Amino acid sequence: MTVIVLRKHTHWVVFYFCLLAGVLIFEHPLYAQAPTLREALAEVLPSDTTAHDRFFNQLAAAEKFDDTTRNLLILWRNEELMLYTDAAGKAIPVSIDTPDANGKSHLFSVATGQALNDAAGAPVLAEASALTPIDSDATLRKKIQRAMDLADISSANPDTRKLAARKLGTSQRKENLSLLEARLLKESDKSVRKSLAEACALIRLTDFSSPKTQIAAANELAELDCLGATEALRALAANDQMDISVRKAAAKAQKSIRDYKDLVNFFGTIFRGTSLGSILLVAALGLAVTFGLMGIINMAHGEMITVGAYAAYVVENIFRNGLALSPLGIPISIPGMHAGEGLFQWYFAVAIPVSFCAAALAGLIIERLVICHLYQRALESLLATWGISLVLQQLFRVVFGANNVQVNSPSWLMGNFTVSDVTLGYNRLFVIAFAVLIVVGTWLLLSKTRLGLLIRSVTQDRDMAACMGVPTRRVNMLTFAFGSGLAGLAGAFLSQIGNVGPGLGQNFIVDNFMTVVVGGVGSIVGTVISALSIGISDQVLQQILESPVLGKIMVLIAIILFLQWKPSGLFPTRSRSLDS
Amino acid sequence: MSATFRKTEIILLGILAFIALVLLPALNAWTPPESFFHISNFTINLYGKYLSYAVLAISVDLLWGFTGLLSLGQCLFFSLGGYAFGMYLALKVGKLGQYKQDLPDFMVFLGYKELPAHWEPFRHFWFAASASALVPALVALAFGYLAFRAKIRGVYFSILTQALTYAGCLMFFQNSFMFGGNNGLTDFKFVLGHDIRNAATQRGLYIATGALLFLTYIFCRWLTQSKFGKIQRAVRDSENRVLFSGYAAPNYKLFVFVIAAAIAGLAGALYVPQVGIINPSEMATDKSLEAIVWVAVGGRGTLVGPVVGAFAVNALKSWATRAFPDLWLIILGGMFTLVVLFMPKGLVGLPGQLYSLWQKISRRRTNAPPDGDTSFPEAPSDHQNPNPES
Repeated sequence: MTVIVLRKHTHWVVFYFCLLAGVLIFEHPLYAQAPTLREALAEVLPSDTTAHDRFFNQLAAAEKFDDTTRNLLILWRNEELMLYTDAAGKAIPVSIDTPDANGKSHLFSVATGQALNDAAGAPVLAEASALTPIDSDATLRKKIQRAMDLADISSANPDTRKLAARKLGTSQRKENLSLLEARLLKESDKSVRKSLAEACALIRLTDFSSPKTQIAAANELAELDCLGATEALRALAANDQMDISVRKAAAKAQKSIRDYKDLVNFFGTIFRGTSLGSILLVAALGLAVTFGLMGIINMAHGEMITVGAYAAYVVENIFRNGLALSPLGIPISIPGMHAGEGLFQWYFAVAIPVSFCAAALAGLIIERLVICHLYQRALESLLATWGISLVLQQLFRVVFGANNVQVNSPSWLMGNFTVSDVTLGYNRLFVIAFAVLIVVGTWLLLSKTRLGLLIRSVTQDRDMAACMGVPTRRVNMLTFAFGSGLAGLAGAFLSQIGNVGPGLGQNFIVDNFMTVVVGGVGSIVGTVISALSIGISDQVLQQILESPVLGKIMVLIAIILFLQWKPSGLFPTRSRSLDS
Repeated sequence: MSATFRKTEIILLGILAFIALVLLPALNAWTPPESFFHISNFTINLYGKYLSYAVLAISVDLLWGFTGLLSLGQCLFFSLGGYAFGMYLALKVGKLGQYKQDLPDFMVFLGYKELPAHWEPFRHFWFAASASALVPALVALAFGYLAFRAKIRGVYFSILTQALTYAGCLMFFQNSFMFGGNNGLTDFKFVLGHDIRNAATQRGLYIATGALLFLTYIFCRWLTQSKFGKIQRAVRDSENRVLFSGYAAPNYKLFVFVIAAAIAGLAGALYVPQVGIINPSEMATDKSLEAIVWVAVGGRGTLVGPVVGAFAVNALKSWATRAFPDLWLIILGGMFTLVVLFMPKGLVGLPGQLYSLWQKISRRRTNAPPDGDTSFPEAPSDHQNPNPES
């Protein structure tokens, strides 16, 4: 019913909506507030110190502090605001843009933000040297900075407000307390409220006249789990001129916060470990297919990762301005699409399948040319593929240059968000989700499709499968291409986390083999578990030993010892054959 | 001994030893530089390097060609030996280092005031020399004991040795590990009281390396021809049968692994004073694989093969890195892949392979009935074969 009624009166709904939007727009600080602050600033700029102070007070009391005013203040501090004397002899404070070819700039009025026009309506152009600079001395610069810090807690942007509250809190200046308390009453954003409360408590902590206030502040800080307060609390607890009860409270609060910090660090480590494990997993899954299922030691697996990463690099450049390469002096230029920001965001969605296909194709060629001669000769496959890996690495160097290249991430992969002080990066979250998807996909392929059935049959007994009419040659080819393609996917993701270079894959080859061996050759579940446990233990050990290298060494030693206990990995393939 | 060496072999060996150990150094020392027969100091130094590579190659072959253990960790042992001797050399620099102090330069740089205790005994030549064999042997013993006890075989062994090398490499890259970190040990001045840059010293080192190569060759020849060698090869071909016949195959493997590590360590010890530097990059897995290339190209399962391979590949490398610096790795990788695919017996086995190929072609031409290709080089046996026992 409601829907029908709504449909009947669509035009009314639209009308009200527009009205509402209009009201909202006029409520917006840019429209309501900015002119007054700007005008006030323009007024006091040519004036003296008392006028400045009056303006700063007005600023601190302002309801909303917008970015435009903030930028103007920064320009003022950097002595980039000028006075322009117009035809009528009036001095107008202006900002200028970058000079054109003749060294002349447009002028923008500080009061309105509009470009200055002369009587005829043409924009005024002037050389910077023809204008009177507005000087600022060290005292004034300090004042501007302080006024900005204070005004920032009224900023329209919650993140700026939060940062400003933290900054004011850490400085522990008593004169800011009333301002912060006043703001705390008005603040609606929950996380900003927390920061403000923390800042107030931090300042009250320095109230040496009243131990009671100090104890209450310490307790409040402990309750708020304020990570930034540890230093102040430590200093207070160590200060032997303080009341003993205050020192005790400070020590207690410090301990409580430290416990919380350990917890945050722990979860941060687990998260980083899981994401590292996921990268390992995606890379190792390809190896689990080629090594685990086919028994081929592909030392060029790392190079398949690199192929995927470079494929992402090429796709990115096609979306931008194209790519000019000159391997061995032969110029090759790949045209670009000159995509705008919006379209560019989607390049990674294209890069993922391209990386898979590029690496799968490379794997297919290697299988046809070399590996198909080496089934049954596992050790030799190790050697031959190492030769291929050398050739490929050098080819990357010849084609893409010996230096690392940078791949720009789309903006939706950058940035992070925070859950109870644990920072979660989008790219790391994405790799975890991606890994889950790939594992499920691989599992489905192997257990639910006809190709998977054929792959498993060839794995179990190549000769018998051939006797039953399984096209073993083609199955091998496809399996190897699939495994290589998975490595390419890992490469595509690695390109979003760090730089891409010819030796990228080499960093992963040892870890990948370890992952597969520990997991149990031929077991997807084993690979998943071992990749995650190696990733997490690597991060945890790094944290404990405070050295990434020592952590890695410990992991390698732990793996060697682990294989004493379970020589064929976590999930060994059961077989009656003696030599399997 | 006499049963293991044929007469022609002894004569050939004697001639080669004479050329390498007496003739070349003599030509280097006593002919004028402009003479046609003169061997330059550079060449002697280069050959000295090749000789130590050849010793390393023999150690790889002893494991891979004769026992079927493809170790990717031989370079770790080579470098450990190198480091042990490098420590001696670094301590002999004395006050002639950059900082004019008794401590090696990097320790002064890191702010150490006195020598760590484990460096102290390396002041003595004989201690350092024996440590260069014993330290790798001990590491090999510890690792091999664990690995063979857990019945880690075939490719798993290769992967695990690769991890071991990687761990070692990472460890030595650390400054806090006190072996010079990234830069390793370098700027040596004296060995046994002689100036290390002197042509005569380099000649002496060359002769010492040559002697080590011949001793290693004779020792390995004897070892592989003995009853022990037979079991060694039996382990390679079918470890299970050896086990069922009542031999403790893991112990045999462990013994060979330790011996090969000691040999590689000695080679490293003689390599370091000739190139003047030892750093962790020598431990990278790639270096081990390069040594395996020498053996594969030369011909594994023979003792001449590794020596031939080490010389041939390194001579090619010296030439190609100058002629085609961009393409060298492509040449090396491509060559290696082709050798693995089409020349399983390497250069040494090439004549036999060509001969049997020629026989096959001529037989086909005369249209003789095929009598089961006995002369064709059999595919190298591999204990990874799924069901050799069935």
